[in-house]
Amino acid sequence: MTIVATDSPAAPARRAFTLRGYVPLFPPFAVLLLFFAVPIGMMIGISVQDPKTSQFSMASYQRFLTDGLIIAGLFRTILMSGLVAICVTVMAYPVAYFLARSTSRWRAVVFALAIAPELAGVVLRTYGWLIILEDRGFVNDALIWLGFVSSPLPLAKNLFGVVVGLTHVVLPFGILALLTSIQGIDPNIEKAAQILGASRLSVIRHILLPLSIPGIVSSLLISFTMAASAYATPALLGGARFKVLATMIFEQIMFYINWPMAAVMAIVLLVLMLAITFAGGRVETRLHKKLNI
Amino acid sequence: MKTPTITAAALLAAVTTGRCEQLVVNSYGGPYEAIIMERIIKPFEDKTGISVVYDPVGSASQDYAKIKATNGRPGFDVVVMTASQSLDGCKDGLLEKFTPASVPNLEKLSPAIKRIAGECGAVHELQYMSLLWRTDKLKIAPNSWTVLFDSELKGKIILPTFQNIMAANLMQVLSVKNGGDLLNNVDPGFKAMAQLAKQSVGFEQSSAVMETYVRDGQVWAMPFWNGRAQLLVDSGMPVDYIKPIEGTIPLVATLNVPAGATNKAAALKFVNFFLEKSSQEAWVTGYKVGSARSDIDVPDAVRAKQITTEEDLNKLLLPDLSITAAKLPEWGDRWEREVVHAAN
Repeated sequence: MTIVATDSPAAPARRAFTLRGYVPLFPPFAVLLLFFAVPIGMMIGISVQDPKTSQFSMASYQRFLTDGLIIAGLFRTILMSGLVAICVTVMAYPVAYFLARSTSRWRAVVFALAIAPELAGVVLRTYGWLIILEDRGFVNDALIWLGFVSSPLPLAKNLFGVVVGLTHVVLPFGILALLTSIQGIDPNIEKAAQILGASRLSVIRHILLPLSIPGIVSSLLISFTMAASAYATPALLGGARFKVLATMIFEQIMFYINWPMAAVMAIVLLVLMLAITFAGGRVETRLHKKLNI
Repeated sequence: MKTPTITAAALLAAVTTGRCEQLVVNSYGGPYEAIIMERIIKPFEDKTGISVVYDPVGSASQDYAKIKATNGRPGFDVVVMTASQSLDGCKDGLLEKFTPASVPNLEKLSPAIKRIAGECGAVHELQYMSLLWRTDKLKIAPNSWTVLFDSELKGKIILPTFQNIMAANLMQVLSVKNGGDLLNNVDPGFKAMAQLAKQSVGFEQSSAVMETYVRDGQVWAMPFWNGRAQLLVDSGMPVDYIKPIEGTIPLVATLNVPAGATNKAAALKFVNFFLEKSSQEAWVTGYKVGSARSDIDVPDAVRAKQITTEEDLNKLLLPDLSITAAKLPEWGDRWEREVVHAAN
């Protein structure tokens, strides 16, 4: 008996590391390093300086954690961004669904209308809302003229006004995020469910919504982060009584000339957005596992 | 992007005009730009042969932030800011110190006003916080800040946000009026402001936006820098403004040269030129503001409304701006808690 030793199939030879394969990564890496990592590093450096002496100090962090006005600004930021994220996603979903599924000739018109707000600048749109919502604005004038109210409703210079303005600003991004996700769902699945007797509501609840979770999470995250970092809309529609972190950062830089405090606020805002993005990813994964999709 | 753009524009201007020396002056746009071009920049170019590139982008605080961020190399050679920024920038070594040798006309300014702006600020203009009022709405012409508290004006006044220095100045004036002082005992000022907040339709940061409330008749009286107030009067609106009897605080505008300015020699020439008697007369009559030079000759109508004499200067309330700047964060917190909170 002859035993023939056979070699196991040869493992593919490991390719030698060559720098050439990484060359395309250099430009974006350099841009990120130069315009993101370096400024962030500088910002962290500034945040641990004393505003007067520029010596090392954690005073600005301490103040952030103990100053009731700043903490209130942080909570207002979270509340405002959360509301905007929900409003945008709820309003964007039907529009995105229509755009993904419709073959109507109106589809192009609806798409153009959905993107149209981006054609005008944020400041211009915000001033438009101010004219509509302020005490002597279009809405209040109409309500008073029709006799529904006797004095103007507080529609601007508060949370309501800012949420309305920001929802308008962010809505196109929510639509685009959801559109991509819904377009990825095979329409035959919905048709099959309906052929098998599922109601339209059941299709939405058991098929469409679970399968579009990535889009919903993306819309919520994009909307939240865009709202949290927005300056012009909260500044114009929020006024003196509704201050959020972004407007407070501007004040610290421009008016109080307290860059360490502004840097601390900016770092907290960045950490907040990173935390929300991370949490959003975790929620999406859990939902996928729970729904077994 | 602004710096390369300005540099390119400056180079282009120099090449096309064939002039070697050039200067980038940063200031404001709108009516200010038209007046400074006609009254100051054109005569300066004619006299010195130096070509000026005018950069109207950015408010004084934005310009100062730029100087700070670039460590004194913001891309412009002369900038119009305020005395507070002059003091802060001087302390941090971001602005050029002026001397009688580099800017001889500094010696002609009122010593008190010159002191306010420190070594790096050349005071080229004085405004004051006036009381602006609608002549078609108020039956009697006011003469005091107390008119803002009248029940007739409930819901007919507007206040600046604390980020507009007028807010702190009004609080300081009301503090003095009610038994406090300008810096250390300002409790009466905050108490009065809280009362005033209940009268107000709201708060606005920008003077331009505050102006719209007066234009559409929603607001009948408010504090306002007198330079802008005069522009409203000149536009034919039914408004007038006064220096209230209790006194007022000036807005001390300064010319500054960043420490790293490229064309420093030309910048110093420009600063000195702006402070010349004839330039100050042209500026006071053109932009309708006051001057820190009391030797200028201006028409009586202008003199009646502006700060132009030693007597006018002596009547001003002059808080130490360094101490004011140091107290702003604390006052800002109080403003939020006591004044904004008290508003309806």
